Amino acid sequence: MTTTAEQDRALAAGQAVTMAGALNQALSDALSEDDTVLVFGEDVGTLGGVFRITSGLAAAFGETRVFDTPLAESGIVGTAIGMAMNGLRPVVEMQFDAFAYPAFEQITSHLAKLRNRTRGRVGLPIVIRIPYGGGIGGVEHHCDSSEAYYTHTAGLRVVTPGTPADAYVLLRQAIKSPDPVIFLEPKRRYWSKEVVSAHADIPMDRAVVRRSGSDVTLITYGGALATTLEAAQAAESDDRSVEVIDLRSLAPFDDETVTASVKRTGRAIVVHEASRFCGYGAEVAARVSEQCFHYLEAPVLRVAGFDIPYPPPSLEEYHLPSVDRILAAIDRLQWRETASGAQAAG
Amino acid sequence: MVTSPMTPERLLPGPTPVTLLDAAGQAVPSDGLDMPADQVLLALYRMMVLGRRFDTQATALTKQGRLAVYPSARGQEACQIAAVAALRPQDWLFPTYRDSMAVTARGVDPVQVLTLLRGDWHSGYDPYQKRVAPQCTPLATNTLHAVGMARAAAIKGEDMVALVMLGDGATSEGDTHAALNFAAVWKAPVVFLVQNNGYAISVPLSKQTAAPSLAHKGIGYGVPGTLVDGNDAAAVYAVVRRAVTSAASGAGPALIEALTYRVEAHTNADDATRYRSRDEVDSWLARDPVTRLREHLGRRGLLAAADVAALEAQAEAEAAALRQRMNTGTRHDPADLFRYVYAEQTPELRRQQHELAAELAELELAELEEAGTRDDDDR
Amino acid sequence: MAAFVLPDLGEGLTEAEIVTWHVRVGDIVAVDQEVVEVETAKAVVAIPVPFAGRVAELHAGPGDLLAVGDPLITVSDDHAGFGTDGESGNVLIGYGTTAARPRRRRSAQHEPSMLITERPAHSNGRVPVVSPIVRRLARNAGIDLASVRGSGRDGLVTRQDVENAIGVRPAVRTGPPATGSDQVTRTPLQGIRKVTADKLSRSRREIPEATVWVDADATELLSLRASLNAEDAEPKISLLALLSRFAILGLRRHPELNAKVEDGVIVMGPAVHLGFAAQTDRGLLVPVVAQAQARTLEQLSAALADSTLRARQGILGPAELTGGTFTINNYGVFGVDGSAAIINHPEVAILGIGRIIERPWIVRGQVAARHLTQLTLAFDHRVCDGQTAGGFLRFVADCVESPARVLRYL
Repeated sequence: MTTTAEQDRALAAGQAVTMAGALNQALSDALSEDDTVLVFGEDVGTLGGVFRITSGLAAAFGETRVFDTPLAESGIVGTAIGMAMNGLRPVVEMQFDAFAYPAFEQITSHLAKLRNRTRGRVGLPIVIRIPYGGGIGGVEHHCDSSEAYYTHTAGLRVVTPGTPADAYVLLRQAIKSPDPVIFLEPKRRYWSKEVVSAHADIPMDRAVVRRSGSDVTLITYGGALATTLEAAQAAESDDRSVEVIDLRSLAPFDDETVTASVKRTGRAIVVHEASRFCGYGAEVAARVSEQCFHYLEAPVLRVAGFDIPYPPPSLEEYHLPSVDRILAAIDRLQWRETASGAQAAG
Repeated sequence: MVTSPMTPERLLPGPTPVTLLDAAGQAVPSDGLDMPADQVLLALYRMMVLGRRFDTQATALTKQGRLAVYPSARGQEACQIAAVAALRPQDWLFPTYRDSMAVTARGVDPVQVLTLLRGDWHSGYDPYQKRVAPQCTPLATNTLHAVGMARAAAIKGEDMVALVMLGDGATSEGDTHAALNFAAVWKAPVVFLVQNNGYAISVPLSKQTAAPSLAHKGIGYGVPGTLVDGNDAAAVYAVVRRAVTSAASGAGPALIEALTYRVEAHTNADDATRYRSRDEVDSWLARDPVTRLREHLGRRGLLAAADVAALEAQAEAEAAALRQRMNTGTRHDPADLFRYVYAEQTPELRRQQHELAAELAELELAELEEAGTRDDDDR
Repeated sequence: MAAFVLPDLGEGLTEAEIVTWHVRVGDIVAVDQEVVEVETAKAVVAIPVPFAGRVAELHAGPGDLLAVGDPLITVSDDHAGFGTDGESGNVLIGYGTTAARPRRRRSAQHEPSMLITERPAHSNGRVPVVSPIVRRLARNAGIDLASVRGSGRDGLVTRQDVENAIGVRPAVRTGPPATGSDQVTRTPLQGIRKVTADKLSRSRREIPEATVWVDADATELLSLRASLNAEDAEPKISLLALLSRFAILGLRRHPELNAKVEDGVIVMGPAVHLGFAAQTDRGLLVPVVAQAQARTLEQLSAALADSTLRARQGILGPAELTGGTFTINNYGVFGVDGSAAIINHPEVAILGIGRIIERPWIVRGQVAARHLTQLTLAFDHRVCDGQTAGGFLRFVADCVESPARVLRYL
């Protein structure tokens, strides 16, 4: 894993960095620019984090600013709240998605509510980084997709990068945000590589069209983005023009970008790893149906995990949305038969 | 490997609770603890009388339907007042929902303190003005906030101590454990004041813990624990003061357990007769903290009957003023629901705010029309 | 236990005298319930109690003088009865449940607002269609939506638009209707309908009414009316107006029928405020023509016509619907002969006229076809007897049969 210094060079040289490297760079840059930024959590100091996201930071910025805490997630988030009340900007790490649950009360009862409770006098500019999602052959409790719990909690911002570039940009923005941000990192993409620019044009609450198309809109985020892009590419051979939207921001939701796309294509599918029942896709489907009803050719479909506890590594592949599953869903979107028997847009 | 300057024995509380005044108000010597100065004792007495009157007035307001709920701290005046009196202006107080008396004593406007309990908003005051966090309802969660606040102060080089109040029941929560642990590891300037008033709603201490005392729990974290008579204002003041001074000097956190009693029920809607006896309540009434201090001050000629009467009158006046102010209805603006969720209102919330406004306008119109029709039919 | 003391009722009051207690010991009182009236130097004031609970003690009796600050009433905080029926009362952590306030939607419903403002279709984009079903309809029929002109909001293509494009009439429903024959509807009695219902019920409930009726030969009346209305330039005289005029004359002779019963008192006046039943879309209305006795036949006819129109338009004011002393009911327009009408409470009588049709009648000993009608009078038997009622009705019938005779009474 590259160190911060090596990444600096890579960024400067316009070389590709991994998502992990991009996150590391973002933390480093934030720590450099703003003295009030702290980074803490379990194993993030000396070890540099179990995924090396915080590698080299403790050495570079000292153990007052980058440090290991005792093993208590509620303690990490609760003390972060107190620190933020006193003007600091904590960027804390929950080691894995499922291990964030002990902090759930602090997140929902205080982190999300303190600004509202005090009528805006107390703001909590805290970022909680959570590696989430599966696809790494992990044993139980290490592969959850918990985004729905956080997006459903008013007062939180929830963002998730699907690319290394966005990992850098979104994390910088999240740290600068005056609101508490749940920063969901798709751990299966930590090792994906891309050239990253340090310039952030896109606001934190906006979605991005990753691929333009005219027949159907695929709406996705985080770990499922790469798979969805693959499926879009494959659909070309079926003579379908597929548009892919990367939401980036799960809360708030970018209605404008999504509805503009679906009103053009008339068909929409949401793709995510999380279980379908009451999953994030349900909200997207409801919104798209409400706002684009008159433009729709077919119901809004969801390609998602089954309604089961996340499977063990040996069965994981059957659960995760795959390229084939996405293509099959596209087929179900009520295409009109043309004279040649091929299906075309209605 | 952990090295602690404190030997295990010094981390444990003494065999008996620390006292400076006996039940009759006589001064008793205490090892290493000085009786607070006369002005301090008089100030404590004064604030306890005013605080009690505020508390009973709030209870009455609830019975008149002017407050949704009021968890009384009656009987706990020594803890409420002495803890606050021992803080310096730059220190922070982290209260629970039962500590309205303490928050008022710290200088927050009583009407603002009652905002939460009246149901007008979730908190009624600016925490930064008097350095008082919002009254915390989820038990023990405020302990971590206090630790974070204190740690940040240390990082920034500020001279500040955070005092967090929690009850006997809250010590069972995981957050208390995490907070004591973090505070000790970080040597954070935090004072944990456990007001052990005997009950967590209806659950007595005997069902809450098997520890010899709650103060004994400190040793598990390397935090010194002190047990104090919570109805002895002089002792509580002295103990908290010592802890604050120590924490401010960088010696780290302290755990204080104050033994007291919750004279009223959990809240106005609780029926305490279901789980405790009248005799028990009476026995504690006989150990009233306000009486005890008054006896002491009277005995020492520091408090004349006229002073007592004058203070009672002042308390009455303040209670009347509070009643008066609480009789004014508060204007509730539904738009406030959408204003403070994020630093900057999101487009979605703005849309929802307008949706609600439109809905209310339509209902108002419907009611006007209905009233008009009704009048027609009546004639 | 809480003792409520006599508060300072304002302006430097020092004492007050108890006038009446509204509660007794043992009663449950609610916060702000008025429990006592006291008299001060300035006025009689009702005082609300600031506590809820059970009245334990009243500290003074009527006539007693209390100083400000003296105990007035002691209330024990008995939790029994705190909550009203079905509500929780105060709960551990809050005020408790409250009965939902009845809210009414306006009858005109807006279209639910779209989440974001509807944008017109992109030039290269899709045509907005009112529902996916309609889109499929178009697709199956081979209709290009871009060629259909949308008649809905913002160019929305409706089902009708597509069907017009297809050139198809809506299919005739074959088979059983979607709604079964045991479809039950429920309509609450509300608004005007309820008001009318209450009045009619009350009338039948309170008034011991009796009815007399008589057949009358209206042939001459009809020809008289025809000649009156022969002039195009003259305003038309209605049958109802003629009957009203006769009734007014009849009431002059039998004034006890032009009365109201209020609180056991028969209220009689010289004026005849004539009400008449008018059927409208909103239900049965009884507009009142005030001072009918002072109007000419022409004026009466105009007033009746005008009131009828206003009733149908729903613009009658309250003054036009109240204050009647006698009511006329032309139920003949429904094509029936007789009616045991319901008296318009609190009046004492109602005159009705049925349809006018040709029937066999004996004229000068011979059977002849005449235009007959049935007149009915329902009357409050407490106020008058058969002689009066019969006399009145006979008089009106005579007017109908020989309208020329009416000149005698003008």
